[in-house]
Amino acid sequence: MNRREVIKNVALMLGGTFSAPTLMAMDNWENATNPNVSVAAFSLNSTQQKIVAEIAELIIPKTDTVGAKDVGVPAFIEMMLKDCYKAPEQQSFLEGLASMEKVKFLELNTDERRGVLKLLEQETKKMTGKITPFWRLIKELTLLGYFTSEAGLKASFEYVQIPGKLELIKLKPNQKAYAY
Amino acid sequence: MNLNIKATKNNTFDAIVVGSGMSGGFAAKELTERGLKVLMIERGHEIKHIEGYDTAMKQPWEIEHRGRTSNISAEERWANSRFWGLGSEEVVNHLTNDKENPYIEKRAFDWIRAYHTGGKSMHWGRQSYRWGKHDFEANAKEGIGIDWPIRYEDLEPWYTHVEKFVGISGQKEGLEVLPDGHFLPAMPLFAPEAHFKNKMMERFNRPVTVGRVANLTQPQDIHTSLGRASCQYRNKCQRGCPYGGYYSSLSGSIPAAMRTNRLSILHDSIVAEIIYDEQKKRASGVKIINQNTMQTEEYFAKIIFLNAGSINTAALMLNSKSNRFQNGFGNDSDQVGRNLMDHQLGSGAQASVEGFEDDYVYGQRPNAMYIPRFRNWGNDKQTAYMRGFGYQGGASREGWESGVTNDGFGADFKKGLTKPGPWSIRIGGFGEILPNPNNRIYLDSEKKDKWGIPMIVTDAAFVENDWAMRKDIIASAVEMLETAGFKNVTPYDRPTHMGLGIHDMGTARMGRDPKTSVLNSFNQVHDCKNVFVTDGAAMTSASCVNPSITYMALTARAADFAVKALKKRDL
Repeated sequence: MNRREVIKNVALMLGGTFSAPTLMAMDNWENATNPNVSVAAFSLNSTQQKIVAEIAELIIPKTDTVGAKDVGVPAFIEMMLKDCYKAPEQQSFLEGLASMEKVKFLELNTDERRGVLKLLEQETKKMTGKITPFWRLIKELTLLGYFTSEAGLKASFEYVQIPGKLELIKLKPNQKAYAY
Repeated sequence: MNLNIKATKNNTFDAIVVGSGMSGGFAAKELTERGLKVLMIERGHEIKHIEGYDTAMKQPWEIEHRGRTSNISAEERWANSRFWGLGSEEVVNHLTNDKENPYIEKRAFDWIRAYHTGGKSMHWGRQSYRWGKHDFEANAKEGIGIDWPIRYEDLEPWYTHVEKFVGISGQKEGLEVLPDGHFLPAMPLFAPEAHFKNKMMERFNRPVTVGRVANLTQPQDIHTSLGRASCQYRNKCQRGCPYGGYYSSLSGSIPAAMRTNRLSILHDSIVAEIIYDEQKKRASGVKIINQNTMQTEEYFAKIIFLNAGSINTAALMLNSKSNRFQNGFGNDSDQVGRNLMDHQLGSGAQASVEGFEDDYVYGQRPNAMYIPRFRNWGNDKQTAYMRGFGYQGGASREGWESGVTNDGFGADFKKGLTKPGPWSIRIGGFGEILPNPNNRIYLDSEKKDKWGIPMIVTDAAFVENDWAMRKDIIASAVEMLETAGFKNVTPYDRPTHMGLGIHDMGTARMGRDPKTSVLNSFNQVHDCKNVFVTDGAAMTSASCVNPSITYMALTARAADFAVKALKKRDL
């Protein structure tokens, strides 16, 4: 599948909600993948932070339980990238954000944003390089930050700090996973 | 616990034990329980059992980087962080700062160290297997290295002695390849593992058992009298267990030695040299350097046990030069530092498991399943390599982590990740490495550490036998998982160096002939009988099973011998 077809499929899936300018912007994605970014001291500007927060919230939205923004995932992502990742991944992340700026992500409506992320997900699967791509980074850090946060963990799982025993059990319908 | 020995002006003991880890702790226990006044010398800082486990009760959100290695940790612990998860702040501060304690890698060696009370016994994997008869006989039968000066029967009662004290959960299987021991009740295999076990027996006649692990499933008086309680199934052992649920020197041997009132422990004290008395032709004591103050001090004893860890024990011997031992203490054979062995790990296969959707587990099993060696065993004969390997591994239900690689995001995706995911299974090999004099450590002739002690150089690597075995570890893992009917069987092969098994051993081997070995059948240095080496350095071959209880059994046996000899005035 080429890029055009992917975009068309995403648009179809979403009921053709992409505006012509968005499609054009996405079509020009390639041109956006090599921005001149420096990672000497990794930090995000307010636009970048906003994009990170919106994407994280789309990955783990607030539902009947807390969402990514509620538990501080956006700040967690920035901290983790700064503390635990090396320049190539930081660069990859910043490039991804630059692409999001290029497609005017923050100006899109929610469905369009979801479409962009679906496209991003499909595109990421085709990437074979050694450096972790933007989508994988932001998705992984969103899940890590959310499911290990106190509110996210307790809302999602049955938290057992001290099991005290080991038992083979049968799963009850709709039983949540244990977290330890 | 940390006596101010200097102030007492009494630097003389019955025995000195260098190191407080797995074997040093056991030496201190056995010697003090037999009436000796013992000084244990630990090069690192003091960690107190329970109160020193600063991360043990931290909840997931209290671990800042949530189990990941920060760039700072990766830089400071450049060797330790090569092992999975050891760079995380759950454990990283209990592992040695490699930047402050560097070594030179002539050939890359993953040297994992824990310089503090208890050493690596605080962090070990706890898998505990007796060697089989074949392990002691193979060198002689196959003409590899040198023969062991002992046989399984020599060690058997000491295995029992160690197992009772340590507390090992396991299943008796009646296998010659993996002798049964004195076990506490076994932990269960999970449903897909039980299926796997049946299939392996049915199709290959290969036994599978649950791991034999030093966690208390049913504490006995010998454990509770030391304040140890049942395993709580948190599976956070590496942080240190506030319940004493798993065995370490901190929870077991050191408290046992302390209650005799005959143990003194000196921390922050690097043993730089063994002092040799040329007149009496025996070691009279050791010279230490305080790692913080740089002060030196000498301590004296009738007997000395070296339990600094294989590499450091060999380095200490090489650094102890005298007129008698110009090539390093006890090193007439030139074998000190050589024959460095480990177990290769990091390869195997994983698969997804269909079915068993209703099967789940409450609690976290700090254990795995074990597949004993089946290669070059019985009727199996491999032409590509010698010896064999065992597998450790197990099945688990996928958690939210599967969401990272699976497609999707949004409300349904979020909800889906709160349910136990499908089962998956993974097995990885632990392969025997043969003794090879060219796999070694030695001291650099010029470079010194900040205490003025020559730096250690590692010069060891896998050889053809290891690579051929590795190929089979992967191929056999794939074959077994496929035969069990599992899906998406995927081999894995993580590039590793020697050392990553954290089973470094062999650098002062036992043997019958002083010309080709360093220690005799009771772990005495051939040419200086009041010095015993009972850590991994003593090993003449490596087997493929985890070595700790063998080190402890050798230690207990040597300590018993030493005390009897002292009483008979033979030492």
